Amino acid sequence: MMSKKILEGKNAIVTGCARGIGHQIMETFAANGANVWACARKQAETFEKNAERLSEEYHVKVTPVYFELTDKEQMKAAVKQIMSAKLPVHILVNNAGITYNALYQMSTIDQIHQTLETNFIAPYLFTQYIVKLMLRNKYGSIVNIASSAGLDGNSGRSVYGASKAAVICSTKALAEELGNKGIRANCIAPGITRTDMLSSMTEEVINQTLMSTDMNRAGLPQDIANAALFLASDMSSYITSQVLRVDGCM
Amino acid sequence: MLSGKNAVITGTLQGIGRATLDYFAANGANVWACAFAKTDEFESHCEELSRKYGVWVKPVYFDLLKPDEIKAAVKLIMSDKIPVDVLVNIAGIAKDALFQMVSIETMKQVFEINFFSQISFSQYIVKLMLRYKNKASIVFVSSISALDGNVGQLAYSSSKAALVGAMRTMSKELASKGIRVNAIAPGVIDTDMNKVVPSEVIQEKIATMDIKRLGEASEVAATIAFLGSDLSDYITGQIIRIDGGIK
Repeated sequence: MMSKKILEGKNAIVTGCARGIGHQIMETFAANGANVWACARKQAETFEKNAERLSEEYHVKVTPVYFELTDKEQMKAAVKQIMSAKLPVHILVNNAGITYNALYQMSTIDQIHQTLETNFIAPYLFTQYIVKLMLRNKYGSIVNIASSAGLDGNSGRSVYGASKAAVICSTKALAEELGNKGIRANCIAPGITRTDMLSSMTEEVINQTLMSTDMNRAGLPQDIANAALFLASDMSSYITSQVLRVDGCM
Repeated sequence: MLSGKNAVITGTLQGIGRATLDYFAANGANVWACAFAKTDEFESHCEELSRKYGVWVKPVYFDLLKPDEIKAAVKLIMSDKIPVDVLVNIAGIAKDALFQMVSIETMKQVFEINFFSQISFSQYIVKLMLRYKNKASIVFVSSISALDGNVGQLAYSSSKAALVGAMRTMSKELASKGIRVNAIAPGVIDTDMNKVVPSEVIQEKIATMDIKRLGEASEVAATIAFLGSDLSDYITGQIIRIDGGIK
């Protein structure tokens, strides 16, 4: 229990690893002994080098996988690449997503489509592929990064929040459908988290929100990564269909 | 995960409390292991944990129904003159009776142990935590029956629901002082407490779970360890269900 790393021997897929929360999840998983298929939109030298560094430092295998989430052909190719390793997939973290801030009356049909497509439909399809792989071993933990906006409904967040609410609802359905096949599915609902995504919100809105947060500070990507580590690992083996708020209590 | 942390855990004689004691020690925490009664088995178990994991596990005996004993226990913990980083309130009782049948005496007794004594004990320990100005974490053990209701558990479910309200208020009051407060809501866990439940009732419950089996005490312990550790640094005021996805 003590000497073993929390994710020793586990193989994990993490999407959106280029920066922010996904980047931190990749690092944390590798540091805790997991091999990671680190998914990102585009190939980049710094990303490749970082994957190599993590592999060496933690004696794991961090493999870059590149695909545009909303491109069905690219997604298929990515799944093929993952399958070609002929390894069991134990963990899937659907982290990649986009943000969109606009008042209800101002939200455009194109943005509504795009946000739902990226945050809900694409990870839904990707999960279908990966669950197929997990079913072979009757083992798996799926962690979807939702948002407090998907639970609370906030001004200017109707579209983004709805896309995350869709994720939460489908996660619970998935948990019920796959619970007796050894697969768990849970969500994390981050609050205000220090990433590039925050730049889409005004300082005023951020400060207001932090004022109403018990802990009076924004979350760090590491805070979210630690929760993902818990839900991905066997530490949470009897937890499924849950939404864990990591928000300093908003 | 918990190395270097000093934890106070109540109800460590058996069930979830015992599993939590073991999990904390195995993950490097020093523990004041609180129990209702002294037994040889418990004493030697604590010694064995200390030896096996290179930590200290000190038994602390007191009856949660006796304010004087609670005070004496707190004094004992204080006398070690080291910070308390984690408090886990596990000790509790269940007295099952239908709403129309439950006596107010039973209600009072259940609330005394499951709610009032835990609040009182936590007040003392928080005072200690504040003295050292370290960040600290408090975990209450509520129940899914507090959130969902459960036939025959009026006293138990309401006492566990009271804990949720206390937890949320404490979280608001203590967050600025670096103390996080959370609760867990276990479902049907394979412990002595559930041995009195008829097997057909257990089978009915399992049918409503996504994960079709009872939970293990060690699975509850792992979540308590997560909430006690720095891994949950940004989590406060939350209640985590460990219930196999009961709908």
